[in-house]
Amino acid sequence: MNTTKRLTWAAVFLAASIHTFSTSAQAADDATVAAEKEQELLAVLHSDAPAAEKAIACKGLAIYGSSKAVPDLAKLLPNPQLSSWARIALEVIPGDASDDALRKAAGSLNGLLLVGTINSISFREHAKAVDLLAKKLHDTDAQVASAAAVALGHIGNNAATKSLRAGLASVSNNVRSAVAEGCVLCAERLYSKGDTVVAAEIYDDVRNADVPKQRILEATRGAILARSQKGIPLLLELFQSKDKAMFQLALGTVREYPGNSVDTFLPAEVTRATPDRAALIIQAMADRPRFVILSAVLKAAEQGPKQVRLSAIDALRRVGDDSCLSTLLEIAVGSDAELAQAAKETLGDLPGPNVNDEIVILLPTSKGKTQTLLLQLVGQRRINAVEEVEKTLGHSDKTVRSAALIALGETVSLEKLDVLISQVLAPRHSDDAAVARQALKAASVRMPDREGCAAKLAAALRRSSPDSKTALLEILSVVGGKKALQTLATAAKSKDPQLQDDGSRLLGKWNDLDVAPVLLDLAKTAPAEKFRIRALRGYIGVARKFAMPERQRVEMCQNAFNVATRIDEQKLLLDVLKLHASPQGLQLATKAMGTRPLKPAATQAALAIAQKLGGKGVNVKELLSGAGLDNVKLEIIKAEYGAGASQKDVTVLLRKRASNLPLITLASTSYNASFGGDPAPGVKKKLRIQYRINGKPGESSFAENALIVLPMPE
Amino acid sequence: MPKKATRQSRRRFLKSAASAAGAAVVAPTIIPSSVMGLNGAVPPSERVIVGGIGIGRRGGYDLSCFLPQEDVQFVAVADIKQKRRGEVKKIVDTHYGNEKCETYRDFRDVLDRSDIDAVLIATGPNWHATAAMTAAKAGKDMYCEKPVTKNISQSLILADTMRRTSRVFQAGTQRRNLPHFAFACELARTGKLGKLKKVYAHPAGMQAMMSGWLVPEEQPDKDVVDWDMYLGPAAWRPFNKKLLDGFNFEKGGGFVGAFRGGGVLEWGSHCVDLCQWAVDDCLPPVEYNARKDGELMARYENGTQLIFREKGWIPLGSCPVRFEGETGWVEAGDSGKMVLSSPELLAGREVEEIGGYPATFHVRDFLDCVKTRRQPKGNAQAACNAHIACHAANIALLLDRQVKFDNATNTFIDDAEANRLRSEALREPWRL
Repeated sequence: MNTTKRLTWAAVFLAASIHTFSTSAQAADDATVAAEKEQELLAVLHSDAPAAEKAIACKGLAIYGSSKAVPDLAKLLPNPQLSSWARIALEVIPGDASDDALRKAAGSLNGLLLVGTINSISFREHAKAVDLLAKKLHDTDAQVASAAAVALGHIGNNAATKSLRAGLASVSNNVRSAVAEGCVLCAERLYSKGDTVVAAEIYDDVRNADVPKQRILEATRGAILARSQKGIPLLLELFQSKDKAMFQLALGTVREYPGNSVDTFLPAEVTRATPDRAALIIQAMADRPRFVILSAVLKAAEQGPKQVRLSAIDALRRVGDDSCLSTLLEIAVGSDAELAQAAKETLGDLPGPNVNDEIVILLPTSKGKTQTLLLQLVGQRRINAVEEVEKTLGHSDKTVRSAALIALGETVSLEKLDVLISQVLAPRHSDDAAVARQALKAASVRMPDREGCAAKLAAALRRSSPDSKTALLEILSVVGGKKALQTLATAAKSKDPQLQDDGSRLLGKWNDLDVAPVLLDLAKTAPAEKFRIRALRGYIGVARKFAMPERQRVEMCQNAFNVATRIDEQKLLLDVLKLHASPQGLQLATKAMGTRPLKPAATQAALAIAQKLGGKGVNVKELLSGAGLDNVKLEIIKAEYGAGASQKDVTVLLRKRASNLPLITLASTSYNASFGGDPAPGVKKKLRIQYRINGKPGESSFAENALIVLPMPE
Repeated sequence: MPKKATRQSRRRFLKSAASAAGAAVVAPTIIPSSVMGLNGAVPPSERVIVGGIGIGRRGGYDLSCFLPQEDVQFVAVADIKQKRRGEVKKIVDTHYGNEKCETYRDFRDVLDRSDIDAVLIATGPNWHATAAMTAAKAGKDMYCEKPVTKNISQSLILADTMRRTSRVFQAGTQRRNLPHFAFACELARTGKLGKLKKVYAHPAGMQAMMSGWLVPEEQPDKDVVDWDMYLGPAAWRPFNKKLLDGFNFEKGGGFVGAFRGGGVLEWGSHCVDLCQWAVDDCLPPVEYNARKDGELMARYENGTQLIFREKGWIPLGSCPVRFEGETGWVEAGDSGKMVLSSPELLAGREVEEIGGYPATFHVRDFLDCVKTRRQPKGNAQAACNAHIACHAANIALLLDRQVKFDNATNTFIDDAEANRLRSEALREPWRL
């Protein structure tokens, strides 16, 4: 058995073992089954199996191994190839045996293998290894000493902590960073247990040590949080630090700070800081939504450097409330476009339970830009204030009326839809018509009860002017549903040419399969030919673009063929069949070849469909037999089969197989078998053919083993 | 209401609403650019200096999102492949019109540079967590491709490390910054769908991700391909080109060979992450059941179910999700479209249909957070929770039975087998 096969076998065996064990675990004696699996895996380790198999066995022992497996795994620790595999199991096997084995190995190994072993001791947080690790802090190999330091940090007991704190001063320079890392880990552990005093001391040790800046940052963060309220001065010191990293640490740490004691100090920091920093402090303040001093943010939004104001306005989007409304409204209608835009965006999202009520209260007494803005906010925030908004529809200013209409579009319920319908049918100002239609459309498409909505629109249709009728039909077409479809169909078959035009046009764009029978009927019975053609084209479009069973699609195409009198639509149908290749579609295309003017296009389509189907393994020869394909003069100019630079010339072979049809059958369905071998093993290959049909040159390529149907050259 | 009908109404609504409002959209940007000082040329002192680690095909896409940012200066790339180092340098140098992008074989050389603020980690998944934590300890912020971790233990340590080091970490879960996904998750999070009952993730298969120990082949020169560095934290094995260039070496949660499980991570790190967002980034599910009829059902503490669907995507493009509440539901996918139980759920909002890309929003979120020190959308804790859900599901798949997870102790309850699969030793000298 070669290595690869043995490895595969081992892996499959192991996978099957897990499955068998797992599913039978409830009924069987788990321990017995696990012991059996362990024994089988250990047998691999004991054998002369290749390292690959032993590696996989180690992986299995990570699940099934017990202390019994530890000695065999430990033997692999000095093996550079298998040490890491052995540690996968040793790290997770419960009990002292693994700990003892790793600790013992750490006493004899060196270099990278020792580092790995120490890392596993670290993962297991093996307390008995502290003495050993403490000694390793002074190992001449910096990697070993650093691993020991971090391991001590993970163990984090008193002894480990003590050795690390001492080590901060005594270890070599290139190990001190790891010792600091270990100290921070110890301090974290103490902090989480509530021993914040000692934790703070350790953080301070690190802050005062000669260690890389990142260690200082970590310790500073810890020193602030561990001291709780007493850490605030240090935090504020960072806000004022000239060091960018320290300032950034303050921004991060303040977001973590528990309780509200720090928040009262932050407004002063905003005032003290440069604008770019103040803008960032405000963002940090807003990320403490429970404790933020809102008045300070609001004040920053009102006045001061623009960058700070923009930050504050943005922050109010998250932490503001109705108390910010008047300020934001003032900024939003102010002269500074950038500030105004920011304020508008914030007003759209301003939180707080009373904001909407306040906006409605302000609306009747507002004027000019503010009134328009409030109406916009009614729409944006979807505030139910139809009656108040309706009162502004008669305003002399078109901007106000437009804002009111748009707000209604966003807010009216189905019961109140007539408010907008009446504005479409008879707007108080003629130049409001377009906006009214837009608003009615916006309202209609969001109605949960679209049949109810369509019924209202359909009823309005009967009493509307010709222009309005078109608008209502267009809205109905985007509302969708049965009533809307029925209304459009009725319009398309009415006596009014305008309604016929609108109805057939909108039905042609209808985005649902339900429209198919309506369009087919219209294609047969519409009052004018141009609308019959439009309906037929719409019907063909439905067959083309919607997902449906292929049998249904072919049936639709057959229906359309029955109605189509012009070659243009017949060709469109052939395109549909080509796009959605199916055996039934091929039959329909070959049937179309019987229509003389359509024969060239139908032949082309049939061959294209056949080629697609052949690539999917469909037996198209049978389907094409008796199709009445015209004989052609086929010449093979050149043919190559292969991939990349590995090409095989198969010209002669294909010439022998060529006939008087644009279809070439090979001796076998396999190209490799037909062409006498595989020119590029393991790689996807293609067959490329240059040819002439009836003197016209063509070129085509085929995926491996695809049916060879040569497209008719144009 | 039939799903089909609602989808059409909504699509039309979005289209018409967008055109009516002059194509106004809900931009996912968190902080106005003016706050970040981006209204004009960005002085060198305010730029985020970025280095790349392992920039291949996916990383190249990420790079194309970083380079156009006015406040980014990309200065270095580290890769174990000489060819890639050269290719990335050429892209970067061409973009800036200079020859200044430095190349390194060992990513630690990038981390040693004090001028570099942040790194883009787009290695294979074998390296993501280890490289990210090494970078954090070196004082770098990072945008790290997904899946971020190889097992539950790494997920927990990642979140701890980023918190302790106060670094900004953004997982490459870019859908968290796409408006339609954000909107769908917001509906679920804020109770607009009623009490949440089920969230569906479509990991597009839950098959094994093969890795293992293949037949030895001649090892290239270290400068051409540094095989030892490629293996990194993964257990040793000889050079084999299929492992080098194959798909996602050692992704499957450390489950090698013909073991089952592991496949949830590829798409799960996206779609499960979105489900986690929908449940307001709560702790991961506490119960994971065996796969049945192509689904794996997990359950959160509050009873909400997380369903992993093995086959098929709902017709909304790749990476679709579905959130079901007592009063409504929503589906969203990479096509950029949403389907809702009622158009009312849109509540007058306009949500741009932009598909699963670009990731530029996500990169922008990261860069903004580097400056503000806010937690980005794909932060380490969020990534940790989503990845634990994926890893636990993988373990249930591997064991082919139910497993129960205790979020307080981060252990499987009374389950020695499952607990042993929470972690995997790293090859020397790597540690987390």
